Amino acid sequence: MLEGLFGNSVIEKIFFTLLVYGEGYPLGMAKTFDEPVNKFQQQLKRLEDSGIIVSRLVGNVRLYTFNPRSPFLDELKALISRAYEFVPEREKELYYRKRMRPRRKGKPQ
Amino acid sequence: MKIDWKNITIRNLAALVCHALTKVGIDAVLVGGACVSIYTDNTYVSYDLDFVSHASLKDIAEILSGLGFQRESSRHFIRKDCPFFIEFVAPPVSVGNEPIKKEEMVKTRYGSLRLLTPTDSVKDRLASYYHWNDPQALEQAIMVAKAQKVKMTEIRKWSEKEDHKEKFDTFFRMLKA
Repeated sequence: MLEGLFGNSVIEKIFFTLLVYGEGYPLGMAKTFDEPVNKFQQQLKRLEDSGIIVSRLVGNVRLYTFNPRSPFLDELKALISRAYEFVPEREKELYYRKRMRPRRKGKPQ
Repeated sequence: MKIDWKNITIRNLAALVCHALTKVGIDAVLVGGACVSIYTDNTYVSYDLDFVSHASLKDIAEILSGLGFQRESSRHFIRKDCPFFIEFVAPPVSVGNEPIKKEEMVKTRYGSLRLLTPTDSVKDRLASYYHWNDPQALEQAIMVAKAQKVKMTEIRKWSEKEDHKEKFDTFFRMLKA
């Protein structure tokens, strides 16, 4: 949808993931979309270098979020939200509606 | 001029970098913790020099290599005998949603340095406190506000616009304590 604007489809997937879940990490995104992890690592680095997203280490995982200090954040999120409205329902179901609430350790998945 | 890279101060190094870039027509503004170091006369010690510039990193790298700084990763530069780490963060120069309209100019024997004003330096640190609950950033904002003359009404209004009035009140209370 916004691939032309963002340069590639991975960026779009990253943006939708961060919009829906608030945060994300490369391996998680790669597994969700069944694509090589390095594709996500490269684009996350690119976005971080440009100040659009930020990351922090949580244990061994580098967790990415939108940069709340970016002066373009509100406008960018508005554009991504608008684009997300047009994502087909089947795709939303597959990629953007994962369980996020806690699940006690030991319970069957 | 012979430079003692090991013992150079953050202020002089920042001025040296800024001057070298200005000479070839590249504008760069110092932001972040380095401004706190300079404004508090090293009460807070930072080893990171964060600059913002609209010039290409390729052009910047060429000038910095003339000063002996090598590009370490995409935006970082180091010199083995110098304790400081230079980064060129993505433009624009802003604090929260606000673009920076005025910069401070500091003259040193190594050249002139452009940096955030003390008021914007406080806002810059407060932005980290507001968005990430970073207690160190809050402490740094207080240090600058104690060491320099800042426009408190402007900081308060900016904080309200950023939707962080309560956290501004905490900052102000701690500043006056």
